[in-house]
Amino acid sequence: MIQSYLSALIDYALAAAGIALVMFLTYQLLPRLGVRREAATGFTLIMPWLLGFAIWTAYPIAASLYYSFTDYNVFQAPNWVGLGNYARILTRDPEFWPSLRLTLLYGAISLPLGLAGALGVAMLLARDVRGTGVWRTLYYLPAVLPGVAVVLLWQWLLGTDGLFNVALSPIYSLLGVGRPSWFTDERFVLPGLVIMSLWGVFGSNAVILLAGLKNIPVHLYESVEIDGGGAWVKFRHVTLPMVSPTLFYTLILGIIAAVKTFEPGLFIKLNARTSGTFLQVLIYGNAFAGGNSKMGYAAAMSWIMLAIILALTLLTFRGSAAFVFYEGERS
Amino acid sequence: MAAITREQPRAWATGAKAQRRLGRIGTYAMLGLGAAVILVPLYWMIATSLKAESKLFVLPPQIMPDPIVWRNYVDVWTIQPFTGYFINTIFITALAMGGEILSCALVAYGFARFRFPGRDALFIVLLGTMMLPGIITMIPAFMIWRALGRIDTFSPLTVGALFAWGPSYIFLLRQFFLTIPREIEEAAIIDGANVIDVFWKIMLPLVKPALLAIAVLSFNGNWNNFMGPLIYLNTPAKYPVILGLYTFAGSLSQEAPKWNYMMAMTVIMSLPILLLYFRAQKYFIEGLTVGGVKG
Repeated sequence: MIQSYLSALIDYALAAAGIALVMFLTYQLLPRLGVRREAATGFTLIMPWLLGFAIWTAYPIAASLYYSFTDYNVFQAPNWVGLGNYARILTRDPEFWPSLRLTLLYGAISLPLGLAGALGVAMLLARDVRGTGVWRTLYYLPAVLPGVAVVLLWQWLLGTDGLFNVALSPIYSLLGVGRPSWFTDERFVLPGLVIMSLWGVFGSNAVILLAGLKNIPVHLYESVEIDGGGAWVKFRHVTLPMVSPTLFYTLILGIIAAVKTFEPGLFIKLNARTSGTFLQVLIYGNAFAGGNSKMGYAAAMSWIMLAIILALTLLTFRGSAAFVFYEGERS
Repeated sequence: MAAITREQPRAWATGAKAQRRLGRIGTYAMLGLGAAVILVPLYWMIATSLKAESKLFVLPPQIMPDPIVWRNYVDVWTIQPFTGYFINTIFITALAMGGEILSCALVAYGFARFRFPGRDALFIVLLGTMMLPGIITMIPAFMIWRALGRIDTFSPLTVGALFAWGPSYIFLLRQFFLTIPREIEEAAIIDGANVIDVFWKIMLPLVKPALLAIAVLSFNGNWNNFMGPLIYLNTPAKYPVILGLYTFAGSLSQEAPKWNYMMAMTVIMSLPILLLYFRAQKYFIEGLTVGGVKG
């Protein structure tokens, strides 16, 4: 074991020395090529990121796009298969469409619910309550827990004999239904996942939105009062437009996070063919799990996922013109 | 609560003052309800971790564990080599955090203070990488580490940090550097200080709150990192806690799941983060909210 720590330390030191060397050379050589001293210093300082971008982002993006058109599987050289992977994913993969459906539905249900709840909590906290700091700390708590811990906790809470069902059993018997087993019954998987995700994020989104609410100048509310407007007018014409950039930011982050959901799908045994699993789990499974190494196939799937994220983000950006209000954009 | 506040007002007071008072009570009631939603599951996690196995499914459920079984913690710690897992986690987190903070600070300083051709375009590229899902670059990155013979080592989890991964950290630090008046650096340069001196002795101490915010975020990110170790590590002796928990959960679910053990392990895993969070929550929240308001 000591040896594995040592070899990691050596790799680490070598990489650090390499970066430092490139920085030193940049600093020495650029001015000789006629670059101003200030510009050379700037390039030197951003060199760690520039190198990292080339090695860990730009090259991998290009390589992964290339792999996605091949049958690459680690053990033998990649063969070009054109659009074969994409065609197979979209037409013949029995796991893809259910999983896409689950991932998108999960986002489409949990995001609006989570944001509405978060905005509600944030507005409560913004009414100068006592001990804002304490409330804030409390509401933020679930977001710092390891994702794995949250999933395990909710598997236990939402089990057939878990606390959630026990607490709700009077309601179940009133409705004359049995206790749902949330994560094993196909029909309840999605609601179960949504409940779990709401618990995890609504508080942290509330804290972010609270920071946005605190920036709203009081005089805007006062002028509504002078005009005789009530609480609804204040909410609809001051709070909502003024907080909309923050709302927009949390929405975009939420979309990306929802599409990238991973841990729940790995812990909770979801049937990829019927209920579907999360896209990221599907990609992981194809690339790395269980002796599979369909790298090309998995790469193609990850590009489809990126396309989905981009499309959703663009749609949100387009739509945002209608609801996001940027102060100072127009007078 | 709501029913009382709606029916009562006219009976004991009138006017705006009373209404405001009721509004306050309602506010606290709703905040309290929200806090209960957050806290009850957490309480249940701790309560379950202290229960005897035979008491897990009794009806009505035991609110207070009786008897309180502290042994659960000793047991889970010894069933799997969790001491080793903790040492691994601390090793990975320390290296990744150190590299991340130092390199991100350098890069942020470069973007904040020096004019060079293409700076703004590069900065937009940097912000764009925040949106990129990690899975796209994961397969080729795995191939690079494989070609270097570094699968099943700690290197893929630590070395990358030196390359200023974490665009949001760079963004946050740059915002902080921008608020510092230039005169401070200029005075030092006139006194003969070089760039490294200025960066190390003047600028870094001035952005200490931002550095702390990033330290906390980075600790959290590396401690909770699940997919990285899952993909790169195969030997159980090299696992960080989170993978230990994962295999532990997997092995337990073969038989009847021992939820008391699972919850004890979850508590242990979360404890360092919770302690850090309670000590440094100001920085935590500052770090996480800056993007939403200024971005």
